[in-house]
Amino acid sequence: MKKCDLCHDNPAGVKVHQMDKDGKVTELMVCAECARQRGLAEVKPTKTAPVEVMAELKAGLQEKDAALTCTRCGTTLADFKRQGRLGCDYCYIAFRDELLPLIRRLHGATQHVGRSVGTGRKNAHVRLTTDRIRDALSAAIRDEDYEKAAALRDELRKVEDEAGQ
Amino acid sequence: MKLGSNGVGRWLAASGPDSDVVISTRIRLARNLAGVPFLPRAKKSEQERVVEAVRWALNAAGFDSQGKFIDDELLSESQGQYLLERHLVSPDFVASKARRGLYVSVDESLSLMVNEEDHLRFQVLASGLAFSDALSTALGLDDKLESQVQYAFSPEFGFLTACPTNVGTGMRASVLVHLPGLVLTREIDKVLRGALHIGLAVRGLYGEGSETRGNFLQISNQKSLGQSEAEVVESVADISRQVVDYERKAREYLMKNLRMELEDKVFRSFAILKGARILSSDEAINLIATLRLGVALGIVNEIDLAGVSRLLILVRPANLQAMLGETLETTQRDERRAAFVRETLVR
Repeated sequence: MKKCDLCHDNPAGVKVHQMDKDGKVTELMVCAECARQRGLAEVKPTKTAPVEVMAELKAGLQEKDAALTCTRCGTTLADFKRQGRLGCDYCYIAFRDELLPLIRRLHGATQHVGRSVGTGRKNAHVRLTTDRIRDALSAAIRDEDYEKAAALRDELRKVEDEAGQ
Repeated sequence: MKLGSNGVGRWLAASGPDSDVVISTRIRLARNLAGVPFLPRAKKSEQERVVEAVRWALNAAGFDSQGKFIDDELLSESQGQYLLERHLVSPDFVASKARRGLYVSVDESLSLMVNEEDHLRFQVLASGLAFSDALSTALGLDDKLESQVQYAFSPEFGFLTACPTNVGTGMRASVLVHLPGLVLTREIDKVLRGALHIGLAVRGLYGEGSETRGNFLQISNQKSLGQSEAEVVESVADISRQVVDYERKAREYLMKNLRMELEDKVFRSFAILKGARILSSDEAINLIATLRLGVALGIVNEIDLAGVSRLLILVRPANLQAMLGETLETTQRDERRAAFVRETLVR
């Protein structure tokens, strides 16, 4: 069996397409471990049109999706899969784990590159982060996990202090 | 912007680079306001708040003196069609039941839809292949708006949009090209496949779902996350330059090897336009498109590319009626359209 193109040690079982900045695509054969470490496991060439990818969401609808709800706007994961539209900016945090593979399929990437400066944008991010921590904090208190709650409270203070500077 | 004016947007003046092939360049940015639910979830009162916030931001940034803000009540169906035919709004915006708002600059190079799929969708249109101008104008407006309102943004996913297909830069960069040479030489499929292969989208004259009337096509990026605005623009510009090159080669080939047939086609179209008594919108657009090829190649000199572009917009149903100041049945419209085209071409 062919050895992994990255660690040259384990047997390669995952095919990965890598695109350089000139758009040239090279095919690599890597092992499962290297693929996982580098977040390459789900990388597939994104040839499918976005409309088709969005249409497939509905087909993947599961019963448990109705239970996952954005605490900010009340949109459920099931709503999103049915309509293909998120309810608010916080949905991106509430459904982050579900959105990551979708965004990767749509865009071939999961990290924004481009415009990001500006105080307005920074404040919006701080607000989203503090909201996320506050939600986790209430959950921890509800579950009586005080150790976790203390850590979250510290994290919240840190984020707020940094934003205040 | 006046309803019923005989003028068309400055971006149709065919004054930009590569105007023989490229009608226009467009940059569209999608933005949402932080803390306000996205459109499907926003209540009427929240939608109104977004309209007011944007109107206020535009005024504060001095845009009120360069254009006009139109309220939802004034966006009737006929007004919507008129704006759609002028490429200033999207079909979804016209059909939407939300509280909308629209800003259009006097020269129609800038339009901003409030409460389409996202709170804000604005576009900059420029004549010819002119990405750097269009991009810097769009980003300039983005900065001005951002100094007045707070955008929904995350460092991980970028600008947050209602649909994840637009998240990231929220940008769609596109060109509207006229490719009759590639269609006549049957090379068009090859070019389109090339564009699709590198992940770009190819659509008809009015975007998603519209047909490719008159051999006009739009080429745009599909991905909005993972590449900077400049990188996206460069990839669309790059393929556009190649398409321009292929189209010119196809036209050269036709001029060299099939000149008589080409001239015949152009002059027949010209003759029908100058003589017809009844013209449907579709027939007019197809004939004017062929005339455009003749003008670009110097076969016809009686009209210039800007004149052709103006005709292409004004023969459309809502624009024709707005120009004439009358509401007309289809039959009457086809007669009046023929008369208008005749008057423009026979002088």
